[in-house]
Amino acid sequence: MKERTKIILPILGDLVLTGGRPVLAILLALLAGSAIILIYGSDPLQAYAAMLDGAVGNRAALANTGVRTAPLLLGGLAVAFGFKANLLNVGVEGQIYAGGAAAAAVGITPLPVPPWLHLTLAVLAGFLGGAAWGLIPAYLKAYRGVSEIVITLMMNYVGIQFASLLVHDPSPLAKPGAFYPQSPLILPSARLPVLIKGTSLHAGLILGVILAVLIYLLLKYTPFGFRTRMTGQNPEAARFAGVKVRRQIALVMLISAGLGGLAGTGEVLGLKLALYDYFACGLGYDAIAVALMANANPLGVILSALFFGALRAGAGKMQVVAGIETPISQVIQALAILFVIAIGFGESRRLARRLRREEEEEEEVLADGG
Amino acid sequence: MVKNGDPVLRMRAITKRFPGVLANDHIDFELKAGEVHGLLGENGAGKTTLMKILYGHLQPDSGEILIRGEKVEIAGPKEANELGIGMVHQHFMLVQNLTALENVVLGIPLERPPLLDLGPARAKFKQLTKEYELELDPNMPVWQLPVGDQQWLEILKLLFRDANILILDEPTAVLAPQQAEQLFRLIRRFAQEGRSIVFISHKLKEMKAVADRITVLRDGQVIGTVDAADAQPSQLAEMMVGRMVFLERRSRPPRESEQAVLEIKDLNCLNDRGLPALKDLNLTIRAGEIVGVAGVDGNGQRELAECISGLRKPTAGSIRICGQPIQDVVRDTSLLGFVPEDRHRTGLVLGFTVAENMVLKTFADPPFTRRGIIRWDEVHRHASKLMREYDVRAPDPMVLVSSLSGGNQQRVVVARELSGKPSMLVTSQPTRGLDVGSVESVHSVLLRERNRGAGVLFISTELSEVMALSDRIIVMYKGEIMGELEAEGADVNTIGELMLGHREVLESQVGGAQ
Repeated sequence: MKERTKIILPILGDLVLTGGRPVLAILLALLAGSAIILIYGSDPLQAYAAMLDGAVGNRAALANTGVRTAPLLLGGLAVAFGFKANLLNVGVEGQIYAGGAAAAAVGITPLPVPPWLHLTLAVLAGFLGGAAWGLIPAYLKAYRGVSEIVITLMMNYVGIQFASLLVHDPSPLAKPGAFYPQSPLILPSARLPVLIKGTSLHAGLILGVILAVLIYLLLKYTPFGFRTRMTGQNPEAARFAGVKVRRQIALVMLISAGLGGLAGTGEVLGLKLALYDYFACGLGYDAIAVALMANANPLGVILSALFFGALRAGAGKMQVVAGIETPISQVIQALAILFVIAIGFGESRRLARRLRREEEEEEEVLADGG
Repeated sequence: MVKNGDPVLRMRAITKRFPGVLANDHIDFELKAGEVHGLLGENGAGKTTLMKILYGHLQPDSGEILIRGEKVEIAGPKEANELGIGMVHQHFMLVQNLTALENVVLGIPLERPPLLDLGPARAKFKQLTKEYELELDPNMPVWQLPVGDQQWLEILKLLFRDANILILDEPTAVLAPQQAEQLFRLIRRFAQEGRSIVFISHKLKEMKAVADRITVLRDGQVIGTVDAADAQPSQLAEMMVGRMVFLERRSRPPRESEQAVLEIKDLNCLNDRGLPALKDLNLTIRAGEIVGVAGVDGNGQRELAECISGLRKPTAGSIRICGQPIQDVVRDTSLLGFVPEDRHRTGLVLGFTVAENMVLKTFADPPFTRRGIIRWDEVHRHASKLMREYDVRAPDPMVLVSSLSGGNQQRVVVARELSGKPSMLVTSQPTRGLDVGSVESVHSVLLRERNRGAGVLFISTELSEVMALSDRIIVMYKGEIMGELEAEGADVNTIGELMLGHREVLESQVGGAQ
């Protein structure tokens, strides 16, 4: 009997292995970034030191990192959750606007309810707004077999312009006579509480962490999660086992889009305190990188969102201290994303090749049964 | 030039090691010009590995290959083609969306690059099909070709490249008996033309019918090479498995019940392409009988199994299991067990653990899920129990099912589907790709289920096992039941004719049909 076994690593070892890839990507990005900083005539070490200082150097820096992390965390969860059902939701950007607009609509409306309820309703509206933005992709993907990648991407442009329309006068959400197109301010009763006084760190971060844990548990410990993973891994087998695969795909798409909506909700109710034109500026796309770097693990998303959040937070300080202009820091961010994707894709390609090879050899060598 | 009888190929002391397995252990193999050389062995004996080394797919760890007396390094299929070696793989290597002709020219350098001029190729295609009496339309997309024709196409590819060492890996697996005969005639003709053929199979009978010499492999080693004319099937079988194998009719106690567990009335359904797959099919299976379905692949067997399990919606007619109409996928494992044809595609989630696969249908039911939470300890306990009962060899239920061998994967599916003691069991090609030992254990399990009182629908394209295992045999052809025979004393030729749609054979016989 020729047996082949798979070594099961303890959770810690597993994390180290899956963590190795993102860490390598980050190191490579920093290395490539330092070349650019050198070309720019600055000292990379000094620049990175400044960046680190800007990200974690003091309370304000930490708060800033937290503020930047929150939307990436929620958006990253949206993408990661979709991944589990083999859905690539690249429409978080649009969902951010849809969710943000819905949350703002509730948030600027005085309601005869206690503040906690007003806030809850606004957050819920944000989720539903995002989910509504996922309706079309969900239907087309699940019941018409259209690629969700194309549809969600297209929905982004609609979402961005739709939100823009809403904040331009005349519109029920527009603030008349505003200098920059925006909605009226969110009422204090619907704002996310500030976590650290004197900073803008809001409860959106907590919401993200709680949801990350909840989604992790959902995937692992509930029949719904089991169905989701089964659908993602082998829809044919899922159907065979009695899962309503189309329905499952549609539901996961809607939830994923809803989480995308929450990313916008946090920004509107916690940070911007109004709906603005073009307020997301690509957050939704960074969310894809966040999920990729975390290998779609909901708990891993917390860490990778934190990394990207820190990178963004530190960029400001780096600009001030080392004279690296913002575009350059964005280049470094982009490099990090590219390396993550490059290494990630290389890894998955290798994995796919290996699986194929193993399948062939398995037929021949390991179909021993005996 | 080599003349018939001279060795064209020598493989010396070929050794190939895979992680944990010695697939080829100092194998010596010789092939003469104009010879049909059978390579016989169980799955996992190393046949395909050896041929993949010859075809350049794999590189040996040690050993050498001599072609026409010259030592060669075969780095890949391209080099193999240049040496005149061609291979028809067990799983066809055809591009479904391209036409027959396009598939044939694929990989051949263009005559006037960058232009693709199919004119000369088309002429050669027609000339070859005419010469070898293969009926193939060059303009037909491959996905529209029946599997048998795809086999001819694969062989045509070799002729097109003028290969003189032809490797055929299990070529009869997809053919009807009559088509297999045609293939054997073709192979003999190739041999007469001076080509050399390596014929891989684990079927003794056809090996004896077509080969000049037979080399038997077992556990990666050459057990011996014999002249086919002198070889006794029992001797070959013993060399192959190291013990005697019987695929004789399995004895069984008489059926005790008259109760119908499966009733199918006027069933019609469509296949994946929207064409009629089943036409007014009627079938009743009683408790404690095995009904074997014989037929060439693709005559509605798969659709029948899928309709019964609720995976495919009938367009007309009704299906009842124990009186219950089937409207949706049956998840009740006490009602229906279904061991599907393709365990990788439908039977298992390869990225899941053994334990997860064991509860693929029942994970949401107690005791595995209570109050909406999956109780993994219950799942693991259940899986461990089934692993012991069905002899699934894996270190523990937490390993990924993809890390198990084919036989063990099949046992996981069987264990899951039988765990609820179903009244009705549907199995489609449950032994495909398994070695003799595993085949026997699957047969024993099916017989045990029958004796327990389950109704069993046993679909297989392997006629010998249908005959060995069934109580009754139905033969399917183009979505219809051509005939129904008592398995006891059924005649192979009659079944073969029915498989090709010749219903007349039953009329000319007395007592054939019920």
